[in-house]
Amino acid sequence: MGKYLLRRILQMIPVVLGTTLLVYALVFALPGDPVKAMFGDKPVNEAVAAQIRAEYNLDKPFIIQYLLFLKNALTLDFGKTFSGQLVIDQIGRAFPVTIKLALMAFVFEAVFGVIFGVISGLKKGKWCDTVILIFSLLLISVPTFVTGFLAQYFLGVKWHLLPVTAGSNPGFIDLLMPAMVLGSVSMAYIIRLSRAEISSNIALDYVRTARAKGMDNKSVMLRHVLRNSMIPVVTYLGQDLGALMGGAMISETIFNVHGIGYLTYQSILKGEGNLVVSIVTLLMLIFVVCNLLVDMLYAALDPRIRYA
Amino acid sequence: MTDMNETNLSTALPGQERYVAPLEETPLKAVDSIDESAPASSMWSDAWRTLRRNPLFIISGLLIIFIIFVALFPGVLTKQNPNYCNLDNSLDPSSAGHPFGFDLQGCDVYARVVYGTRTSLSVGVFATLLVVLLGTLIGAVAGFFGGWVDAVLSRLTDIFLALPILLGAIVVLQMFKTSDSIWKIILVMALFGWTSVARIARGAVLEAKNLEFNTASTALGSTPGRNLFRHILPNSLAPIIVVGTTSLATYIVLEATLSFLGVGLPTTTVSWGGDISHAQSILRTNPMVLFYPSAALAITVLAFIMMGDAVKDALDPKSRTA
Amino acid sequence: MTDVNTENKLEAMQRANGPLLEVKDLQVDFTTDEGHAVHAVRNSSFSVYPGQWVAIVGESGSGKSTSAMAVLGLLPGTGHVVGGSIKLDGQEISGLKQKDYDKLRGSKMGLVPQDPMSNLNPVWRIGSQVKEALVANNMDIDHEKRSEFAKALAGEGMELKGDDDETFLGSKELPELLATARQALVNIGKTGEDLDKTMAYFTEEWVPGSETRWRVADDLIKAGVADDDAWYLAKKYVIGSTMDDRIAGLLSEAGLPDAATRARQFPHEFSGGMRQRALIAIGLACRPELLIADEPTSALDVTVQKKILDHLHMLTDSLGTAVLFITHDLGLAAERAQHIVVMYKGQVVESGPSLEVLQHPQHPYTKRLVAAAPSLASQRIISVKEHGGDAKAVMEHTVNESSLENGEAIITVDHLTREFKLPRRKEMFKAVDDVSFSIKKGTTLAIVGESGSGKSTVANMVLKLLEPTSGTVTYAGKDISAFKGKELLDFRRHVQPVFQNPYGSLDPMYSIYRSIEEPLRIHGIGDKNSRTARVRELLDMVELPESVMSRYPNELSGGQRQRIAIARAMALDPDVIVCDEAVSALDVLVQDQVLRLLNDLQAEKGLSYLFITHDLAVVRQIADEVVVMQHGKLVEHATTDEVFDHPQMQYTRDLLDAIPGGKLQLGLD
Repeated sequence: MGKYLLRRILQMIPVVLGTTLLVYALVFALPGDPVKAMFGDKPVNEAVAAQIRAEYNLDKPFIIQYLLFLKNALTLDFGKTFSGQLVIDQIGRAFPVTIKLALMAFVFEAVFGVIFGVISGLKKGKWCDTVILIFSLLLISVPTFVTGFLAQYFLGVKWHLLPVTAGSNPGFIDLLMPAMVLGSVSMAYIIRLSRAEISSNIALDYVRTARAKGMDNKSVMLRHVLRNSMIPVVTYLGQDLGALMGGAMISETIFNVHGIGYLTYQSILKGEGNLVVSIVTLLMLIFVVCNLLVDMLYAALDPRIRYA
Repeated sequence: MTDMNETNLSTALPGQERYVAPLEETPLKAVDSIDESAPASSMWSDAWRTLRRNPLFIISGLLIIFIIFVALFPGVLTKQNPNYCNLDNSLDPSSAGHPFGFDLQGCDVYARVVYGTRTSLSVGVFATLLVVLLGTLIGAVAGFFGGWVDAVLSRLTDIFLALPILLGAIVVLQMFKTSDSIWKIILVMALFGWTSVARIARGAVLEAKNLEFNTASTALGSTPGRNLFRHILPNSLAPIIVVGTTSLATYIVLEATLSFLGVGLPTTTVSWGGDISHAQSILRTNPMVLFYPSAALAITVLAFIMMGDAVKDALDPKSRTA
Repeated sequence: MTDVNTENKLEAMQRANGPLLEVKDLQVDFTTDEGHAVHAVRNSSFSVYPGQWVAIVGESGSGKSTSAMAVLGLLPGTGHVVGGSIKLDGQEISGLKQKDYDKLRGSKMGLVPQDPMSNLNPVWRIGSQVKEALVANNMDIDHEKRSEFAKALAGEGMELKGDDDETFLGSKELPELLATARQALVNIGKTGEDLDKTMAYFTEEWVPGSETRWRVADDLIKAGVADDDAWYLAKKYVIGSTMDDRIAGLLSEAGLPDAATRARQFPHEFSGGMRQRALIAIGLACRPELLIADEPTSALDVTVQKKILDHLHMLTDSLGTAVLFITHDLGLAAERAQHIVVMYKGQVVESGPSLEVLQHPQHPYTKRLVAAAPSLASQRIISVKEHGGDAKAVMEHTVNESSLENGEAIITVDHLTREFKLPRRKEMFKAVDDVSFSIKKGTTLAIVGESGSGKSTVANMVLKLLEPTSGTVTYAGKDISAFKGKELLDFRRHVQPVFQNPYGSLDPMYSIYRSIEEPLRIHGIGDKNSRTARVRELLDMVELPESVMSRYPNELSGGQRQRIAIARAMALDPDVIVCDEAVSALDVLVQDQVLRLLNDLQAEKGLSYLFITHDLAVVRQIADEVVVMQHGKLVEHATTDEVFDHPQMQYTRDLLDAIPGGKLQLGLD
């Protein structure tokens, strides 16, 4: 297990380096001058621009910029935004909100996704299966921002069940609707995945053998069908936890949640390259670490992987 | 020696007497005979037969034909110009010739929904084509050559996979905000989207590569290159087609999302995403203005997702050999 | 004779008891996607008496497994019983609800399934999968607790019926039991070697969780200990086992060594044979009266197969379990079962006492089957020879001795070695270790070996699909390792393969025409018209109608695909065909048909074959020479007659012994 973990971590290093380089290149090496953008429509004061360039290392060759960024990032020094705020402060303020939102979405999609998926898989072909199937198909087809507006209009505006927007310091109730919207598509995928897994596992040989032992239907389903079906579902959930953080952008924008997604979107629009790169690096690290955890979890769930 | 009846020894137990079925009831067929009356069927014609019977396929197929028709000939469905907007008509309810009413700018909502079809569909189709081409190329090369080529390409795939497509797309599109071309969004989607197809293509090629018919062909004198194009690629197509169909839906959604965020298509282009974005400010008062383009978008995406499901059922490699 | 005596007694008991399982006019239908009913089993009747082995024999699709699953109420998918009756112990069970079936399965009927790889759940430990069977039938630890409880209620003086036979030895008490048993033996005057031998016997026999109080007492009494003392010891130390002991005991009964440790492992840590033993333990865990064994060993190597079946036979005999044995091998069925039922296309065509059916088959299908079964064919040759007859008359293939002696070698394999790098291991694994032989023109050399013997690796090196680590392969006097470009193409033209898997070796996207035409196209032979003509000719050669040209592999049966593969291999008029397990996946009759085709083609075209197989019985029908391989090494190399008549090595003898039907008297005298 220790060896496996070590190998996986070593494999992660080139991916982390590669992705940060990619993001850094996208933000800083592509045409378009962030300093010029700062001045907006005003004429560019070359002296001030040069000073800013020096401060943000923009006058150095690209690869040096990147290496300096990496060096500083290792000490958690992500520098300042062009407007002079510490990047780490900005992230520090937004991050807890997004973690809360992502965890709520995660619990929502995991609980309802698995429940509906299992019902659907066990009652394959019955009316409740058809209803759940259509429901999940609709959730997948309707883009998140449309789901968001629909939820906002019906749950918020029309029926006054939940607050329409979350605001800057949201509580549990404020985040309920954004979290549901954020988790809705993944929930639909979990439904479909659980259903497919159950209906293919139910026909496997060892399930028949279990029945031949004289086990009753409930035990067979629990110990042999569900236990095995949940392996890919748990894997999907784990990977999705990492993706939810990065995917919160739409939901946070619609519901005005001041989290990481909102911050990213705003900083992209404002051309705050440093902030964008820092956030994306962080998100990517979370994503990669989540994937690593999923692999560990997978090994724990499936003994065949354990010593591979 | 025993108390049992000696005569019983030679007779079988009841129900286990010697039995031979009458020949007329159990006619003997030639060993391994061929049913020459059955129609010939290739994998594709089998898949087609399965598809034809699938209601999911029929519904989605009809929808897609309709969507394509609207995209090609929007003028048939509406005589209004989607770009003719008159503030006098702002938020007017539906009237004759304007079934969906007017938006905040006073543009005809129905006409904009109809003309938006072309935008969504063309972005989806071209992005998918590019993604499938790029992904198949990279995946097939990685799977076929293996070794360090595979290692390098697989790491590259991991790198792009770790970057959320929406984030990457926004960053790049923000740089090219001034460009009015529809191609910038298609290229950006291809740049960040090829990974999913590459992974599947790699897996399919790896699987097909290890099938015995390749070894058989090699032993017949075939070269590796010939094997790749004559055997491996054709046999890897099914999963790629499946992921392609579903991708089409994904890219239509992505385009709408980007346009909604204001970094997608230029505002001069009629697009559902853009219209939805504009309508959000009046959601509380005039929800229907937002509803119509949303519904059009959802129906289109639904059609392609259902098509993807149907195609997957028909081409599923698990059911192929059965 | 005591044998006859017990047989008579048994028969009388069976007669008195009546059949344990009685299936009458069974009909099973499957519903297709279009809603049509497919009759998988029609009007089939058979019965099983207590303690009896009854075999159902048939090819794939004959309905044999379906019948067995119908008995268990475990028909897959859309299958359902539409007619007839299934009686277990006189009680009709065919219409039972699943809930009631649950009560019968495990406790009254057990199953040993076919494929050991897919029948154990990969995520649970072996022991816990055995435990499930016990728990499901309330045979877990509760039983011992319950009897203790009952005993307490009844008082010390009362003896509970059956208790001694259901109380198992526990691992905790074993050391003390052995120590006191030793003391008891010393007390009755046993010393030295005699004492050691008896103790060794006890140590081996007294397996915790399997040995009962009654058997311990019996063993002691047999060793000379006085009745009272023996029972005193047994009652004192055999006081019930823990669940873990019982699980280990069951696994060890099934022949799994080191069962207590093994029970804590996962299925993927087991070999195929070990998994099958675990499945046998599961099937017998609750001591069912009827065990349904559905091709229990067909996925295993022949020598393992024999060991496991021998063990199963011993075990079911000692437990008095009746067995419904499903198999495709007539020889195996006749060897193991007293009564056989032959099924063909969903119907029972013939049934009766095994030997009688075998010696005097009446239905044309049975006759065909008896004639084609390779195990019986080789048995027939042996018995003809034993009786001094001329075996040539019953041989499909006679050894071509003149070619073997005078012919020139077309393929020579010289000190061939191939090593593989194992993942995360330093030392190399020698798949093939210094193998040499040569194939004479116009003859067949068979390489026989079990899985992992390196036989297919040799084939791949002969085909130049794999480069040897050392050693050479020579074709027509030239070292093939140097072949490149035109020379290689020429070699490919003359040495053709036919692979094992008829489903995998033809491209599913290619029509039959394109498949057979492919080699002609690769080698640029002829134009479109002449190629079409050649494909027709080749199809005719393998006795397939022209109409298959436009068909696709998925429409053909395994045997037909294999004939297509042979036609493809013949397209370029090769000198050598390498058949890698080419008939192993086929049903007996189809296998026989393909073997005949290969023999005919050899006689007609003077082909040379390298024939790779795990089945020694098939060798007799095709080969002139045999090379026996084990663990990558060549064990024995001789003419086919020599190998069968005078095997030199123990391993070859084991392989020969493992051919089913070895002890059958075919009634040729």
